[in-house]
Amino acid sequence: MKKYVSTEMNPEIKLKINGLTYKLRVTPEKTLIDVLRDQLGLIGTKKGCNEGNGGAWTVLIDGLPMCSCLLLAVGLQNNEITTIEGSKMDEDIQIIQKAFVEVGAIQCGFCSPGMILSTKGLLDKNPNPSVYEIKEAFSGNICRCTGYKKIIKAIQTASFQINEKKSL
Amino acid sequence: MSKFQYVGKRVPFKGSYEKAQGKALFGADVRIPGMLQACVLRSPYPHARVKSIDISKALKLPGVITIATPWNTPTTKFGIVKNDEQFLTDEAKYIGDEIVAIAAVERDIACKAVELVDVDYELLDSVYDPIEALNCNSPLVHSDFTSNLCHHVEIERGDIFTGFNDADANLEKTFKLPFQYQAYLEPQTATAMWSDNSLTIWAPGQSAKHLSDWFSSAYLLPKDNFRFIQTCVGGAFGGKNYMRVVPIVSVLAKMADAPVQFVLDREEDFLTSQPRVPMTINIKMGITRNGIITAKETNIIADNGAYAFLAPGVLEVASVRVDTLYRFKNIKTKASLVYTNKLAAGGMRGFGNPQSHFAVEVMIDLLANELNIDPSEIRLKNAAQVGDENIHGYRLASCELQSTIELAKIKSRWEENRTKSKKRGNKKYGIGMASSVHVSGSVMACPEGDGSSVMVQILENGRIIVFTGEGELGQGAKSVIAQIVAEELCVSYDQVSVEDLDTNIIQGGAGAQGSRVTVYAGNSAILASKDAVLKLKESAADIWNCNVKDVIFRNAKLINVITESELDFSTVSKHYIHMTGGSRVIGQGMFSAKNVEIANEIRYGNISMSYPFATQVAEVFVDVNTGKVEILRIIAVLDVGQIINLDAFEGQVEGGIAQGLGYALFEDFIFDKGTLLNPNFTDYNVLTIKDVPEIKIYTTDSIDPYGPFGAKSVGELALVSTAAAIANAVYNATGKEIVGLPIDPFEILK
Repeated sequence: MKKYVSTEMNPEIKLKINGLTYKLRVTPEKTLIDVLRDQLGLIGTKKGCNEGNGGAWTVLIDGLPMCSCLLLAVGLQNNEITTIEGSKMDEDIQIIQKAFVEVGAIQCGFCSPGMILSTKGLLDKNPNPSVYEIKEAFSGNICRCTGYKKIIKAIQTASFQINEKKSL
Repeated sequence: MSKFQYVGKRVPFKGSYEKAQGKALFGADVRIPGMLQACVLRSPYPHARVKSIDISKALKLPGVITIATPWNTPTTKFGIVKNDEQFLTDEAKYIGDEIVAIAAVERDIACKAVELVDVDYELLDSVYDPIEALNCNSPLVHSDFTSNLCHHVEIERGDIFTGFNDADANLEKTFKLPFQYQAYLEPQTATAMWSDNSLTIWAPGQSAKHLSDWFSSAYLLPKDNFRFIQTCVGGAFGGKNYMRVVPIVSVLAKMADAPVQFVLDREEDFLTSQPRVPMTINIKMGITRNGIITAKETNIIADNGAYAFLAPGVLEVASVRVDTLYRFKNIKTKASLVYTNKLAAGGMRGFGNPQSHFAVEVMIDLLANELNIDPSEIRLKNAAQVGDENIHGYRLASCELQSTIELAKIKSRWEENRTKSKKRGNKKYGIGMASSVHVSGSVMACPEGDGSSVMVQILENGRIIVFTGEGELGQGAKSVIAQIVAEELCVSYDQVSVEDLDTNIIQGGAGAQGSRVTVYAGNSAILASKDAVLKLKESAADIWNCNVKDVIFRNAKLINVITESELDFSTVSKHYIHMTGGSRVIGQGMFSAKNVEIANEIRYGNISMSYPFATQVAEVFVDVNTGKVEILRIIAVLDVGQIINLDAFEGQVEGGIAQGLGYALFEDFIFDKGTLLNPNFTDYNVLTIKDVPEIKIYTTDSIDPYGPFGAKSVGELALVSTAAAIANAVYNATGKEIVGLPIDPFEILK
């Protein structure tokens, strides 16, 4: 077998993901999604276009939903990155996950991690979104299975439950 | 009060927590130590002979392991219906055709290596239009075939001349139906690994049986040597039956002697998903003045693109299936599927049925206008009814089509809304209807006989594991099967889990295509559960030392009718394991539909277990200045028999309507000769959350005698008539005949 290029030459960076700091070497052109999936084994973030169209590849950067396929990993050393695997530490995300499951908003499930993180991003900013506001916020998240009805219902359910929890 | 514990209820989908948590493993999540990644060199020309390939530079790139070319891979032609495919080709037949495949330690390296390959092409004449392609002077897409005609259907029933003679009005129109991309979010993916002479494929494929049939035709290897393990499927909609990534990855894995994974990028997926077959449908219908259809003559030209795949089956469906909707007596249909130098079209949800439904259902409204009667009256007068055997020999053991029309009229306040004034400022209001029929599995897809197997295993403490040959696409198949098993065994739904499909454990079925899983796997799950109960009774009889006949099963308990003593499920299950020296209670269910027959050479015979019906009403606003169509509301009334999972049912209907709306309003492939100009989600618009109108869903009471608990199918039916209902609503609003999709605002303004 031919000698394979070593990664020693690549710059070492630090990424803070789901509360953990990872030290790794990446080539400068590596997108966050490839680093998450191929180098860190965080496969919960799905890959489907590399053009930022679709939303299944959404992660939270400092709490804001962003397309992990459009972000270069090297540029994110000062940011908090949350992927779907981070839901273990976040009660709100767990409530959102439960809402998606219980209203039947998950069919194939490929868009679900992105939908769930986008919901978290929206509800942090706007705890009581109207249907119109939900539609505006999710206009970039494609789901080909559900026709979106149950996704809207899941977001509303999660919003209600998170608010209820906070008012206790 | 429902008589069922789980059937007809809302229960969370099996596997959805894992999906929500990002733990579910999809095609590209498969990881095997030493696994390589693939990339493919695709032809930049629509038709070209490969004269030479120089791989020397690519081979020198560190990390490149194997390079497959048309000359070091098997050249046998293979295929499903037509033997027109190869692993890699030395004569490109469309822009995107696979010429060279490279496996490397990383995908980036494989892709870089592809750029280093030099191919010398000799350009050949191309043809893009199917009508031109039928001309005898046309270039041949496949030089080893004698013409570009890939498949042809001719059917005549009754007497078409008498039919038109009996008509008081005749109308003839030509409809143009576009491509439609499946647009699942997970691109096509496969991972292959060889061990000795056996191949294992991990992939989000729809059908184990079809995949292994295809493999064995490609490799000339026994089907037993293929093992298919289904990963989670990130949407399929017909596009993941015959994924070209599968043969490519398997040949690379063989050459590299290592596991290889191939994940398409989005543009490649557009080129190879085999989208909905575009058709030009010329149709002439005759009708009496009181609204009885007397004749229908149809001519279909379908554009196959470069390879046949499933398109011949799509043509067959487009030729006959819509004839089950009405009591047609005299019909004549000619249909031709034609090769062109474009990407291959094939199966997408609905499988030829939305195309011909669009033509027939729009014609009904145009005929109604000719006769000056309400189109719903034509539908009601001609509607198929329970007990009918139609002109193609299809037998309707359940059919509530008339009820779906009547209920749709009530729920949409049809009479009132049809007649009310159209004008709303600069918008016009319209309301339109279209009905539809589909199948619940078609034996035509499995000519050797369609069937399904389910295996139920009961563990020591009463947990139940179910194995199925059909798999799960995300539509909720596992949940439906688990509900049926829980219902039959009187155990809790949470106690039942359904395993991923693995053909080394269970015979692979025809899978999730043809709207067959609920009815086939559902019936099989009932039989498997009953078989398990029989074994539990044997075990209980052994404990009591009594006759098996004296043991009954009720509410998850075994009861001795003589002594009236009871044993619970897990005690008996545990005893069975001890009694047999280590075997679990295993219930086997093998189901094949007894009421279907393979249609003979004249295409006559009952091809499906049951036929679901639906009527949809669309309400629209059309902007008189821009021609833009805005959907206010869709009302869907379905005759699908007993619903098994309410959430899954609604999910199928809402998702299907969303795809139907896209088909009606904006989905299409834009070509410049052979080049697809919009192979991405920026330029190819699918329905977003902002585009979804109000959707109201109703069902008619119906129970099918052959379905599990009376169920029929729903998945494909849901979108079959949506586009026609919208076209009819636009016609109602504006008086403009809609004869092509997607609906063009400029045509409306003309």
